Amino acid sequence: MTLSRRNILLGGGAIGAAAAMPAAVPPAAAQAPLNVGLILIGPVGDFGWSTMHDQGRRRMLEVLGDRVRATQVEAVAPPDFDRVATQLVRTGSRLIFTTSFSYFQATQRVAAQNPNVFWENATGTATARNLAIYNARFYEGRYVQGVIAARKSRSKTIGYVASFPVPEVIHAINTVMRGAWSVDPQMRIRVVWAGAWFNPGREADAARALIDQGCDVICQHTDSPAPLQLAEQRGNVFGFGQASDMTRFAPRAHLTSSVNNWGDYYVARARAVLDGGWQPSDTWGGLDSGMFRLAPFTNMTPEEASEAERIRDALAAGTLQPFEGPITRQDGTLVIPAGQRLTDDQIRAQNYFYQGIEVQMP
Amino acid sequence: MTLFEAILLTVITASTPLLIAAIGELVVERSGVLNLGVEGMMIMGAAVGIAAAITTGSSAFGVLAAVLAGMAMAALFALLTLGLATNQVAVGLALAIFGLGLSGVVGAPFVGVQREGIGAIAIPYLSDIPFIGPVLFAQDPFVYAAFALVAGVSWFLFRTRAGLVLRACGENHASAHALGHHVLRVRFLAVLFGGACAGLAGAYLSLVYTPFWTSGMTAGRGWIALAIVVFASWLPWRAAVGAYLFGGVTILQLHAQSAGVPLPTQLLAAMPYLITILVLVLVMRLRGGGAGPAALGQPFVPDR
Repeated sequence: MTLSRRNILLGGGAIGAAAAMPAAVPPAAAQAPLNVGLILIGPVGDFGWSTMHDQGRRRMLEVLGDRVRATQVEAVAPPDFDRVATQLVRTGSRLIFTTSFSYFQATQRVAAQNPNVFWENATGTATARNLAIYNARFYEGRYVQGVIAARKSRSKTIGYVASFPVPEVIHAINTVMRGAWSVDPQMRIRVVWAGAWFNPGREADAARALIDQGCDVICQHTDSPAPLQLAEQRGNVFGFGQASDMTRFAPRAHLTSSVNNWGDYYVARARAVLDGGWQPSDTWGGLDSGMFRLAPFTNMTPEEASEAERIRDALAAGTLQPFEGPITRQDGTLVIPAGQRLTDDQIRAQNYFYQGIEVQMP
Repeated sequence: MTLFEAILLTVITASTPLLIAAIGELVVERSGVLNLGVEGMMIMGAAVGIAAAITTGSSAFGVLAAVLAGMAMAALFALLTLGLATNQVAVGLALAIFGLGLSGVVGAPFVGVQREGIGAIAIPYLSDIPFIGPVLFAQDPFVYAAFALVAGVSWFLFRTRAGLVLRACGENHASAHALGHHVLRVRFLAVLFGGACAGLAGAYLSLVYTPFWTSGMTAGRGWIALAIVVFASWLPWRAAVGAYLFGGVTILQLHAQSAGVPLPTQLLAAMPYLITILVLVLVMRLRGGGAGPAALGQPFVPDR
C-alpha cells in the first residue's frame, strides 16, 4: 500500500517533470507521447516475476524512445488495485498492463469503468472490448522440468512450492508430472501451498518441509529465489529457477530456469496503440514465441542435457503436446480420450489434478 | 537426523526473528511506549545488515550495522514521540511505512547479490547430548542470542532496580517522575533497545534465514512480533512460548500439507494464528496477567 503510494508520487513527479520540459521533445515527434501504466504484484527487486515485467518496460522505453512514457507501480496488493488503477488513469495513462492473475477480475471491472483506456491483463482468462490478455505457455517449461526431475531424483519424489490453487498453478503441477511420468511412471509429487506469490521466508520454510520429507528436486511456483537457494544450502537437492535466470543463486543446485521476456510484447502493444491498431487480443505465446525461454541447463550430464534440449525443441515445434489425451482426473473420470487434445480454454480452466497425483486439491 | 529433529530445528530458526523482535518491543512497551514501527525497524536492519555485510565482506559488521540501523530508526521515533510528545500510534505506523520504503532504496544496489549465510556454531559437549544437543546447541549465533535475551530481559525487568524503574515509568509516569526518575531518559533507552532488537531480527532474515536482499522480505513478521507481546501479557517467558508456538505451528502446517493431511490448506494456514492466540489466552486465564502497562501509549511531558 505504502510502496504504491510512494511510487505513484514518484511517477506523478516524473510526468510533471516531463510536462514541464516541452522543449525537450523534438519537433519531429508531433504526436504526444503515449503514457503507459504498469501495475506489479511484487517488488521490482523480487528477482522473478515482477523484475521481468520491469525489464519488459525498460525494453519498451528503449525501443520506442520518447514516443512512450511509463509509470510503474510496484508491490500493489490486490485490495489496493482499484485505487492505483484509477490514479494511473487520472494521471493520463492510456495503456495499462496489470501483471497478475490476482488483478484479473478487478481489471475487468475498471476496464468497463474506463472505456477510453486500453487494458492488458497478464494471465487473465477473458477479453473485453478494451481488455486484452497475454500470457506465456510456461507449462511447456514445466514439462521439461518434469523430465529433468525424473532423471535427477533418487527418492523419486518431486517437491512443489506452490502459491495459490489457481488454474495456472494446477495445470503446471499436472504438466510437471506428465513430463516426469514420461521418464519414470513411479514418480511422485508433494505440494506445499505457501499462500503467497512472494514471501521469501515462507517459501524457504515450505522447501525445508518438502526436503525434510524426502523430496530431492524442488519445483517452485513462487517468485523469490529462496526455495532454490535452500536447495543449494542443503546439498544433494536440485531446483529450478522461476521467471528469471537464477543460476547464480544456486550454482550447484540449479538445473534450469524459465526466463520470461515481456519486452517485445510490450513494444508491439504500445506501438499498436500509437498506430491506432490496438485489438483486444488473446496472446498465449509458447517457447517458439520468445515470450519465455529456458536458461542454460546446469548440473546435468551431457546426456541429460541433450535429452532436455530435445524435449524443449519438440515442445517449441509443437510435435510434443503436453495436453494430449487421454487425460483422467484424480477421481478416475475421463476428461478427454486418446487422440483428442485440451483446448486453450480447457487448459486455462483446469481445476483438477490428474490421476496418479496423490495430492488433495485445497 | 530424524524427521522430528529436522522439524524442531526448523521451528527454532523460524521462530527466532519473531522472538528477538518481540523481546525488544516488550521492553519498550514495559516502559510505557507503544512503538508500532517494529516492521519498519526490522526491515531496515535486514537491508542495512546485508548491505554492510556485502560491502565490508564481514558478517559481524553486517550484524552490527543492522543493530545500529534499527537503533537509528528507533531514535527517530523517540525524537518525535518523546521529544515532541506526538501521538505514538501515528508515528509508529509512519515508521513502519517509512522503513519499508527506505529499505528498498538502501537495498536496491544489492538486489540479486549472492552471499553465504552465517553458519551454525556447535557448542562443544552440549551439542553432543543426544536429541536436545543438535536441536538446541548446534544452531546459529542468533538462536543463542534469542535464548540469552529472554533470560536477560526477564532477569533485568523483575530482578534489578533499573528494571523496576523501567516498569514504574510504564505503569505511572507521573509517580516515577515525582520520585525523581528520568522518565524520558528511561523510555529513550528502552526504545533504543527495542530498535536494536528489531534490527538484529532483520539481520537474521537477510544474513541467515534467506541470505539475500529483496524488498519487503520481512513480510509482516514485525506485526506478528507486536501481537506476540500483547498475547504474552508483557512477560518475556510467555513471549518465548508464543514465538516458538507460532513458528512451530507454521512449520508443522507446511509439513502437514506436504504429507497430504486431509484438511483444507486455508485452515492449516490459519492454524499458527488460531493456536497461538488460543494458548496464550488460556495461559492468561489460568496464570493471570493480561493488563498492559497502565501508561502504555501515553505521552509524557515533564513539568518542572
